[in-house]
Amino acid sequence: MKPIIETTSLNRRFGRTDAVRELTFAVPEGSIYAFLGPNGAGKTTTIKMLLNILQPTTGSARILGVDSRDLGPRELAQIGYVSENQELPEWMTVRQLIDYCKPMYPTWDDAFCEKLLKNFNLPPHRKLKNLSRGMKVKAALVTSLAYRPRLLVLDEPFSGLDPLVRDEFIRGMLELSEQSNWTIFISSHDIDEVERLADWVGVINDGELHLSEPTESLQTRFRQVEFTAGPETTRLPASLPANWLVPEMAGQNVRLVESQFRDGESVNELRRVFPGASEPVISPMSLRDIFLALARTFRFTTESSKA
Amino acid sequence: MLPFRIDLKTGAPVSEQLVYAVKKAVISGLMQPGDKFPSVRTLSQELRINPNTAHKVIAALISEGLLEVRPGIGTIVGKKPKATPQQRSELLGQDVEHLVVEAKKLRLEVGDVTRAVEQHWNKLS
Repeated sequence: MKPIIETTSLNRRFGRTDAVRELTFAVPEGSIYAFLGPNGAGKTTTIKMLLNILQPTTGSARILGVDSRDLGPRELAQIGYVSENQELPEWMTVRQLIDYCKPMYPTWDDAFCEKLLKNFNLPPHRKLKNLSRGMKVKAALVTSLAYRPRLLVLDEPFSGLDPLVRDEFIRGMLELSEQSNWTIFISSHDIDEVERLADWVGVINDGELHLSEPTESLQTRFRQVEFTAGPETTRLPASLPANWLVPEMAGQNVRLVESQFRDGESVNELRRVFPGASEPVISPMSLRDIFLALARTFRFTTESSKA
Repeated sequence: MLPFRIDLKTGAPVSEQLVYAVKKAVISGLMQPGDKFPSVRTLSQELRINPNTAHKVIAALISEGLLEVRPGIGTIVGKKPKATPQQRSELLGQDVEHLVVEAKKLRLEVGDVTRAVEQHWNKLS
């Protein structure tokens, strides 16, 4: 399937800082793509380049088949965007905001808009400045969903929202699954919210993309491996295979994350390094645990390269 | 709310768990032939799962004959398949696998597990 977002060696500098380095990835149409990374990793900078709010220093991005620098009203009318720090015209009521946005979108669906307002319990005649943060985010989502965008871009939509509002928000964005064309690109530092929603995952850290692949393949290649090392092993060997992440040892018990799991081969490799090892217990991992293992690996690598 | 019980666990593929939960509900009679089955959107909203996964599961259940498409209504539960004891025991597959994995973690032997199962079985009968 043709990608709806495609970037090639995307770079962005701010002064002497590289906020985003050599980002190359593609988002297939019809997917929910989770763009994950710790705070400050470059997620918002990337999204701003995708939507032509920021210009890339070098490299390029194509959205809906168009270079991001050439995005015009025709493309923007098919893209929904809700960000953590969205500024809304606070003096307007919810209804006024809707009336203000509607003329910009030829595909605006009044019935869908009213349904969303009702599901979100949004008071149409209250001024935005008098709404809670959760209510404001929901108002922003209504005005980004009501025209049934082909692409919905969400930048850290859940931060600071209570669980009920998060749930309403997710139900709202999933309303799009009723239409024939939809893609959701969602950035987050909190994996729990997107664990089962995302069928594609991109992980960015310190401006660099560490992976971009289907959730299914991630969950096939990552395994937690636990075994007893045997009495002759008193500490972890200094050099271990690079595909073993976050190895730890407590007493005789060794635990590590195998990032290139293959039936049989992985165990053979284990036996080569730990000849006296017990039969290992190999368990599949949640997306959260995979992300944590990667994040801990990044931190370790960053700290040791600084030292 | 969904017309069947499911408690998604991490690790195992969501689609397998969902197919299993629906089969269990149909064979045990919790869902009856002709009952309306939830849409892709409802399944994904209620379980917070990817709509493509929900779509895949519904398509698989239709091709197996457990669900049927009724134009204008949507998807309904199909005629109750006559489940053989073999098929019914297959439904236990996931639970058995889980038990075996846990037992192996505890470094138990197969005899220990069957004895434990027998004990519980006798307690309940």
